[in-house]
Amino acid sequence: MKLSEAVVGVRNSRVWRSVFRAGTGDTNLHRSLAVQQNVFMHLASVKVRRRALDFGVTWYLGTLSLGCFLILVVTGILLMLYYHPSVPQGYADMKDLQFVVSAGVFLRNLHRWSAHAMVLLVFAHMFKVFYRGAYRPPREFNWVVGVVLLMLTLFLSYTGYLLPWDQLAFWAITVGSNIMSAVPLMGAKTRFLILGGNTVNANALLRFYVLHCVILPLIAVVFLAVHFWRIRKDGGLHTGEKTHE
Amino acid sequence: MTEKIRTAWKFLFGDSARAFGSLSVVLVVMLAVVPAKDHFREWLHYQHEYQSLIRNRSDGVSLARRFQGGVQQIWLPELDVVDRCATCHSGLKEASLAGVAAQPFRPHPPIPHSLTEFGCVMCHRGQGFATTVEDAHSSTKAWEQAILPARYVESSCGQCHERPLEGTPQLNAGRDMLARYGCVHCHKIASPEGRVMTATDDPPSLAHVAEKTTREWIFAWIKNPQAYATTATMPNFQLSDEDARDISAFLINQSTPYIAGAPRKTPAVPKQDDTAAVQQGSSVYGESFCASCHAMQNAAGLMTGGNIGPELTRVGSKVKPEWLADWLRNPKVYDPETAMPHYRFEEKDVGLVMGFLGSKTDSDFLKDVHMDTATAAQIAHGKTLVSERGCASCHEINGVAHADNFAPELTAVGSLPLAKILFAPGMAHTVPDYISAKIRNPRSFGNALKMPKFTLSDSQVDSLVTALLAQTTRAKTLPATLRIQAAPPSTYQPAGRAGQLMTDMRCFSCHEINGRGGSMAPELTWEGSSVQRGWLVSFLKRPNTLRPTLIRRMPKFNMTDEEASVLADYIMTVYQTAAFDGAAKFAGGDSAHGKDLYYGKYACNSCHILDPAKDKGYIGPTLTEVGLRLNPEWIFHWLKNAQALRPGTLEVNWNMNDEDARAITAFLMEQKAAPRKGASR
Repeated sequence: MKLSEAVVGVRNSRVWRSVFRAGTGDTNLHRSLAVQQNVFMHLASVKVRRRALDFGVTWYLGTLSLGCFLILVVTGILLMLYYHPSVPQGYADMKDLQFVVSAGVFLRNLHRWSAHAMVLLVFAHMFKVFYRGAYRPPREFNWVVGVVLLMLTLFLSYTGYLLPWDQLAFWAITVGSNIMSAVPLMGAKTRFLILGGNTVNANALLRFYVLHCVILPLIAVVFLAVHFWRIRKDGGLHTGEKTHE
Repeated sequence: MTEKIRTAWKFLFGDSARAFGSLSVVLVVMLAVVPAKDHFREWLHYQHEYQSLIRNRSDGVSLARRFQGGVQQIWLPELDVVDRCATCHSGLKEASLAGVAAQPFRPHPPIPHSLTEFGCVMCHRGQGFATTVEDAHSSTKAWEQAILPARYVESSCGQCHERPLEGTPQLNAGRDMLARYGCVHCHKIASPEGRVMTATDDPPSLAHVAEKTTREWIFAWIKNPQAYATTATMPNFQLSDEDARDISAFLINQSTPYIAGAPRKTPAVPKQDDTAAVQQGSSVYGESFCASCHAMQNAAGLMTGGNIGPELTRVGSKVKPEWLADWLRNPKVYDPETAMPHYRFEEKDVGLVMGFLGSKTDSDFLKDVHMDTATAAQIAHGKTLVSERGCASCHEINGVAHADNFAPELTAVGSLPLAKILFAPGMAHTVPDYISAKIRNPRSFGNALKMPKFTLSDSQVDSLVTALLAQTTRAKTLPATLRIQAAPPSTYQPAGRAGQLMTDMRCFSCHEINGRGGSMAPELTWEGSSVQRGWLVSFLKRPNTLRPTLIRRMPKFNMTDEEASVLADYIMTVYQTAAFDGAAKFAGGDSAHGKDLYYGKYACNSCHILDPAKDKGYIGPTLTEVGLRLNPEWIFHWLKNAQALRPGTLEVNWNMNDEDARAITAFLMEQKAAPRKGASR
């Protein structure tokens, strides 16, 4: 009893109330205020159907994708502490991670496997949404946002692939960028823009590093926010039940 | 069973709290594994082992003081070296651990380089970044180059050292073989600064081959060169009888006369059953020191003689008498580029030598070779074969152009990527194994391959592999300051009539002057400062040896007095050192004091013979007539600093004071004894 009294005391304190304005009332108003006045929580719905939480409805694929994304952000930032995007230091840094850095192999493998898992989960998420018909109105815009997020996932995978700067990386990006140049009219220009030159070299490595670590993650975060926010705005998760009685 | 699984599932993931708890346990275990793996790293294990190894030693305290734990790294950015080998190889620099047999704790054997300045992978290759045994030593998917097998380790010296080193006999031998066996006729091998290795085997031109030998001999020779001469450097092309027949037909057919229309006389050649005459011919062969360059199997089956010219054991089965007579008279008429000197033989001696060489016949050699007259189709097919097999890469042949880069370039063969190699089934996938198999038996990689088979011993193959493994891409990226370049080839050519004579007698085949020439005989760049003219003239006319331990090799060229005098004048005038500074310092010594010094303080008689009756020294030249031979100024400077006059000489660097040197010079200049009877002809 003492503990719960203390908790109530803290929650009613001035400091707590300055951070979390909404109280802990048990009315619908209080509940919705608690959600809407929190920058993180307000993306989510105030109310969720119990059925939407069942495993069978979503297989939690979206949440698992988000989980992978968070792991990738954390391990990615730690890896950035050891990595120089330069030739040939990039490759030497891989070797350091493998042979010298404490838990370096764990970090790298966790980043790599999470990346693979994320691609897999994002595709599975898309198929699940597609076969359950969750792309239909009113969720058609969120489907489009989802497709953008799929593309971003693939771009993140592709840009990350060059960073080890080994033979596999070099040739994968060489082949990939050559495919890019087959696009009519603007193909060669796009390739030049992406690589920062005509061959995969120091400029390409630097560009891919900036794309992989800054530009693409930031865009992904923006689209993720929109994606989650639209779930709430489109009437919660699609459960297969009628949404408008 | 399913019931049990269901119960377990319910226990672990029955409700959200249980599922959260179970997953948390999994996460904690996972996070615990990571530091645990860090703790059980291989190198930590080796460092613990090293510590327990040194703990029980008497010098354990000092060893422990020098031991440093943790990852040990040598980082040399300018050499592109990152080495973590010393992490496990803790005792590398501890000479006191010499008795330790167990790796990785053995100390490194003494080498001229500091380990910390050059690192390990420069010489041993492998993956320096690695801190595990497997990754550091083996070829893995992430690092192709495995550690270099110890028996090829000299190859790494060759990445910087282009000159022969005393400590790398295998590498030196391999490089000599690349040139001597003519590998570089077909394969281009360039040094990092772009100098292309040249062959030293001098394959003969075949433009006039029909004048020299028969089609039967050519057939037998190209079928198996080593059957004719075991020391032959020509490889075996493993030709079928038909192919050898057609090639011999073409070679005879393309041949042109080398003296247009001139009737050639053969001197009187003694008959083979005239043993006295053959013996006389043998004497001329001996006196002319033909064996300095040509080998011959003696009656006991031993090969004796030099390797500059071809082996002559069965020469009687090969050459035509008219050709041999022309050749002995003046070899340049047939081959302007030959290394063979122009002996000024009298016609009688030509006949005698021919009689002797004619006795060197192997009646079995061509016994079973019978050639029908060649058809036009056979000749045409022979020409095709000659082009395809690359004969013209080595030999000059009429109508077939010399093929540049006939075979793959080997400049960077030591760094050949494994993906570019087609390994034969069952062989180890490493570059050294590939090169070695390719040299041993080229056709094991397919019958269509053109590379011929060389007759080589195992150690010769190892030498060649060592020399080839020195050709790495790393060699190119090393700083130029590290590279010890080979001496640039000298194009020195003496001028005037003396120059013509020296070319005619092929002095450069054996003597080196101003960086050009062979290494068989003494270097002559400063010969004019060294000797007296009178001695030089008599030596040129009648050469003898100066050193009791050496067999004489200088041939007698039968020079005229005028020729000897022209040569001597030239040598005395041109081959002078600039280091001598006039007469004042060396003259006027006390010869009696010199004698005391000679036998006492400096004990010169340990190596030199002055009195043949008493002295036993035989390392250095005999000095009985040195007063007639050497220039006093040369003796004076030689006594003071012999290495400066002739680098690498066995003479001690005495650093004598001027007075002692003057005295010994005066004493030696008095030694003008007549040569011993029979000491030289």
